[in-house]
Amino acid sequence: MAEPILGRRGTVKKRLLFISLLLLFAVEAAAFGAVFFQRQEVPQDTVAVNEVLQSAQTGWRYGTVGGSDVDGSEMNAGNGRNAAHGLDYVVLDLEGAVLYRSGPGFNESINEAIRHRDTILDVKVDGRIVGKLIVYNDSADAFREDKKRTLLFLAGSTLGLCLVCSGYFFWLERTVLRPFQKLKRFAEYVAGGNLDIPLEMDRNNLFGAFTESFDLMRSELKRARLAKAKADAEKKELIAKLSHDIKTPVASIKAAAEVGGALVEKNRFSDEMCWKGRERLQENYKQIVQKADQIDALITNLFTATLEELSRLSVTPKDMENRELSVILENADYMRCARISDIPECLLYADRLRLQQVFDNLFANAYKYALGTPKDRASSGAERQHLKEGVHLGIEVTAEREFDFLTVIVEDFGGGVGEEELPLLKEKFKRGKNAENRSGAGLGLYISDYFMKEMGGELAVENGRLGLKVSVKIPLSGRCVHETADMFMK
Amino acid sequence: MKEGLLKTENLSKSFSNGGTLQHVLKNIDLELYRGDFTVIMGASGAGKSTLLYALSGMDTPTLGTITFGNEVLSGRSSDGLAVFRRRHCGFVFQQIYLIDGMSVMDNVLAAGLLVNRNKKALLKRARELFFKVDIPEETWGKFPAQLSGGEAQRVGIVRALINSPEILFADEPTGALNSKTGLDVLDTLTAFHEQGQSVVMVTHDMRSARRGNRILYLKDGTVLGECNLGPYVHGSEERHRKLRSFLAEMGW
Repeated sequence: MAEPILGRRGTVKKRLLFISLLLLFAVEAAAFGAVFFQRQEVPQDTVAVNEVLQSAQTGWRYGTVGGSDVDGSEMNAGNGRNAAHGLDYVVLDLEGAVLYRSGPGFNESINEAIRHRDTILDVKVDGRIVGKLIVYNDSADAFREDKKRTLLFLAGSTLGLCLVCSGYFFWLERTVLRPFQKLKRFAEYVAGGNLDIPLEMDRNNLFGAFTESFDLMRSELKRARLAKAKADAEKKELIAKLSHDIKTPVASIKAAAEVGGALVEKNRFSDEMCWKGRERLQENYKQIVQKADQIDALITNLFTATLEELSRLSVTPKDMENRELSVILENADYMRCARISDIPECLLYADRLRLQQVFDNLFANAYKYALGTPKDRASSGAERQHLKEGVHLGIEVTAEREFDFLTVIVEDFGGGVGEEELPLLKEKFKRGKNAENRSGAGLGLYISDYFMKEMGGELAVENGRLGLKVSVKIPLSGRCVHETADMFMK
Repeated sequence: MKEGLLKTENLSKSFSNGGTLQHVLKNIDLELYRGDFTVIMGASGAGKSTLLYALSGMDTPTLGTITFGNEVLSGRSSDGLAVFRRRHCGFVFQQIYLIDGMSVMDNVLAAGLLVNRNKKALLKRARELFFKVDIPEETWGKFPAQLSGGEAQRVGIVRALINSPEILFADEPTGALNSKTGLDVLDTLTAFHEQGQSVVMVTHDMRSARRGNRILYLKDGTVLGECNLGPYVHGSEERHRKLRSFLAEMGW
């Protein structure tokens, strides 16, 4: 509906310019015409001049020219020519004295009259020259008048033209130049990678549709870039997640192979198998362990490569019930080595997936450093014993409420680390001294710490009674509101 | 030191809403004291009524514990909760829910007979209460349809108090009443509170809230703050100002 109106307004605008220009040209043309055609030489009216001469001569004869009164009244009384011919003149006698003037301000000597191209006639009375008649040449005045008028005309039309032109330039500036400058700035933004600033253009101006396509280009570019960034992030997250996920089964394979190797070693003296067979079996187990180590190292590398982008891993906490935490802990303790105490009923505010990763890491650490290698355990038979009796092997998990947090403490009995190493454990690529012969990249605690901080919680590492004690503070739901309220009240 | 009456720890309540869990109450730690007129305020959807129902044993919490004296309420069966409610709680609702086919007195006695078999004692108690809430004897035989809104609500209060409950729970008791009758009902509640009755009332009306001596403000399922109006005289400008500034602080 609005379109045709706007369109009509547009054409009116365009026509306005055209019409005003046309009008001005017409005015100018008229002015030129006036200058060229109006200024024709008007010949001196000889009849009138002769009549004036005649009357002067007549006047002379009757003695009405001269005397005390030089000015017009007398002459008017004589014959009234002044009005009749519209000529101005001066009558001089032979000595150059003014006998009569039709008005003031005319040339009153022969010299002046010559200079002014006045008509000079002899006044003859009875064939004898008695004086001079100077008929005033008014063409200069007429010319001046014409010039003035023409100038006025020209000035008016020039002013008009100036106005129209400046109006037109203003319009051009607004509709063409300014949009172009805007476009230039816009191009600079886009080139600088800032795709968030839209190009705002009046769709009705000359460049509206044109610039709109530029903006379309920007938005498409932005969308493409966002999609790419998202895809990249997803890919990296996937790699990080997968590499972490792959580590667990690899560790199990390795553990199983180590146990197998140890069992073969232990049954060295039984005669279920020939010596050679045992040797080969052991060799196979060793190879499995080696290859598992290799895979583990490769995954670690992969993980490290994507870790640089890890800070962008999203953590989105949600309300979560305490039994979900129990499930998480059970999942993390895949070797069933931990004694997990009851978790108090509460509503937590945490990211389930990330929390699972945190506890996976903590349990993996505890397995690695506190329980010894599976080989040791197999040879001592402790593991089987424990599994049979259902007694925990060396990880104690307790949970209790502390103000606005639920603190989960994962404590092992592996002797812990040196006090001086404690502050470094959470750093990237830092590992305790006891880590030398164990696989790992020194990232577990670093990532876990990052995740907990993102959730608004905390991860603290200290030496417990017999081993390392890691406290994970998970925020309780609804408590962050409290904090903000407190801050507000302060 | 006030005597604790009802205590919650990590009280949380979740509802399943089209497949997604909606957590209405989040880790509420609260202690209600004997003799208090506790008012629960908050915007719509903040979980006020849910909290009231959880506290009064009308509904079971999803997580957390509620202890009444030495009894743990959470984890009880619905029958167990019903018994608890009859003995210890009185309820006043926005809708009064009097039984249409029974007279005013019968309505009150029916509630009493659930707990107390001694009809004589019940009658005595009912008479006392009716006088206290200013319901004359000729009204006792009327049917609920013949009562005005304010009268009906006062009968509701009598019914709630017939078993001498330790706590009277009121959910928007003046919500359906006009301002005059609403004031009468509030005066009645205030009078009972002054005689030592513990009251817990949910409201979003400031005029009603002023009657309480302890105001809790609920937001997003958690107690955002509380305010003690105890030291200020009823109806005083100071009390009003204190409540108003508290609510302003809470973003009311």
